[in-house]
Amino acid sequence: MKILVLSLLDLVRRPRKNLMLVLAIVIAVALLTSLSIVSTSANTTILEVISKTGHTLTVRPVITERSADDITSDTLTTSEVVFGKYIPEHIIPEIERSYDKAIKAGWERKGGLVARPGIGEINIEPPTWAPRLYGKTSLDGNPVIVTGVDFYKEYFVRFWWDLASGEWPTDATRIRQAGENEAFIGGVLSQARGIGAGDTVTVNGTPFKVMGVLQETNSADDYMLFIPIRAAQRMFDKAGYVSLLSVRAMCPNCPVGDAMVELNKTITGITATSQLDIAGVQFEFFNMLYNFLLAVVTATIFVAVLSIFNVVTGSLYARTREIGLLKAIGASRCQVLRIFLYEHFALGFTSGAVGYLVGIGMAIVLNAFLDIGAILRVDSHLLWRALALGILCSVLAVFVPALKLTRIKITETFRTQWET
Amino acid sequence: MDAYIKIRGLRKIYTLSNQRVDALRGIDLDIERSGFVVFVGHSGSGKTTLVSTIGGLTRPTEGTVVTDGVDIWKLKDRELSAFRNRTIGFVFQSFSLLPTLDVLNNIVMPVIFRRNGTIDVTALRDKALSLLSDLEMSHKVNAYPSELSGGEQRRVAIARALVNDPEILLADEPTGELDIRTEQEVIDIFRHINTEYRKTIIVVSHSLSWIDKADTVVVMKDGQVRTDVQDPVQALMGEVCTG
Repeated sequence: MKILVLSLLDLVRRPRKNLMLVLAIVIAVALLTSLSIVSTSANTTILEVISKTGHTLTVRPVITERSADDITSDTLTTSEVVFGKYIPEHIIPEIERSYDKAIKAGWERKGGLVARPGIGEINIEPPTWAPRLYGKTSLDGNPVIVTGVDFYKEYFVRFWWDLASGEWPTDATRIRQAGENEAFIGGVLSQARGIGAGDTVTVNGTPFKVMGVLQETNSADDYMLFIPIRAAQRMFDKAGYVSLLSVRAMCPNCPVGDAMVELNKTITGITATSQLDIAGVQFEFFNMLYNFLLAVVTATIFVAVLSIFNVVTGSLYARTREIGLLKAIGASRCQVLRIFLYEHFALGFTSGAVGYLVGIGMAIVLNAFLDIGAILRVDSHLLWRALALGILCSVLAVFVPALKLTRIKITETFRTQWET
Repeated sequence: MDAYIKIRGLRKIYTLSNQRVDALRGIDLDIERSGFVVFVGHSGSGKTTLVSTIGGLTRPTEGTVVTDGVDIWKLKDRELSAFRNRTIGFVFQSFSLLPTLDVLNNIVMPVIFRRNGTIDVTALRDKALSLLSDLEMSHKVNAYPSELSGGEQRRVAIARALVNDPEILLADEPTGELDIRTEQEVIDIFRHINTEYRKTIIVVSHSLSWIDKADTVVVMKDGQVRTDVQDPVQALMGEVCTG
């Protein structure tokens, strides 16, 4: 039998004595683990969305307080889908030029366009501008949002679109090659109106064949009917106007933020929003939430450590007689201390591991309960952190009282009772 | 021949509630190797303090305890622990077994605190079993202290005290709280250990039953050794009657 075995035997024989200690550490570790998982996963998910959308910029007609007053409640729907305000197509080339200029300037400032030996100048692919025209009409007596799009460009910008029904070689081919009298329908609208692929719908007297039902994307697209933009312009008498321009920058790490600032500054009547800004707000929200929860968790852990300290001190004093016996039969102070450190190392390790697993469970529940929608990722370093935290809490809590008790005079321990 | 344990000018002063207590008042005593010494005296006479000082458990205020040529109170804390581990086997009245370990593990416990040499687990187990057999406790090898009677616990404590093969077996009230029959059995075991293993036995007891078995009986009173005693039994009885 070695000192380690002596420690472990003691733990095994007295499981209830350490239950409170284990529970306190498990809660502390679980809170920190779940918080880390949720916040990291949420931020990573945002980053992935940004990278998927290629730092897309959205250009809309500007809505000031005054212009909003001009728009009746019937025409202004949401901040995403605006009716009654349009961007004239003739200013699109100016928008494109402004955008290109800002991107180029941004790259030059970063030094990205400087030719290097063997590499040459970075080739920036031209961006894709996808226009949309929103219109409200009725379909079989029910209101519906009809969105005119250029299918080829639209799919390029929203490459995550998939078809829920339809049998075509690829979604991309089918969507991009849609003809003048062909349409696609959002998943929710399709279900609500009972319209499927192959059906024909008549909108304002014009028949369109539904070529496919889009898979739901949890966006406004799910509620729309998509038709070619020229047909929409004719239908709503808005020839030469669009409601929205989406831009997919075709270069990694493009200075889209610069372009956004330039567009807002130089082109009147439009407002440009970068996904980075939206992401920034989301990051800020998550970071604020994370910092708040971290403060709560830190306070909880502080209280937990104090409780652990009290529990451990009480538990150790109950074992004073045991310490006296060990010292009497020849255990040095260091050896007695080692017994308690081993015990608490094992307790901390176990509590850390259990806390880690509970933390993963809590993260899953938090993610679902708060509807964060992050794809949860568990990094392996979190396990090491959880184990380290568990061991640290447990060992720190025992170290001072144990050190103090090893100094106790053996004969003084004779007067105490055995802890059984 | 030099005494195995030489005690000179030993004093121990406690302060209890701001009151000075002279537990030992300058004791000089020699104990021979393989001797069987019993310390008797009424409560508060200082016998437990004296034995604790000999055993390296209580530091004296003044004086020396030289065991086998080593002044034990000049040893560092770590060396003193090693001395206790190597040289002395302790048997206490109720301060005895770890409740979380079974009989076998309680017996081998002192060996794990040895600071030099490797532990031969098989030899250690054999030795523990042999001691248990000697003490007629082989059938309780896997029992826990709570499953043992007082006499059985005392036997296990004796086995543990002997496992490191110490020179001295030091017992403080080893038959306290035991019935007369069990007390006699324990006393016989100590005598057996003294004669068979040639261990130096130092016992503190209130009980007169030990006196007949001892080579030397030391009567203590008020922190001093009484040198005027011819008949320890009579002296003790007198203490009881007059005290």
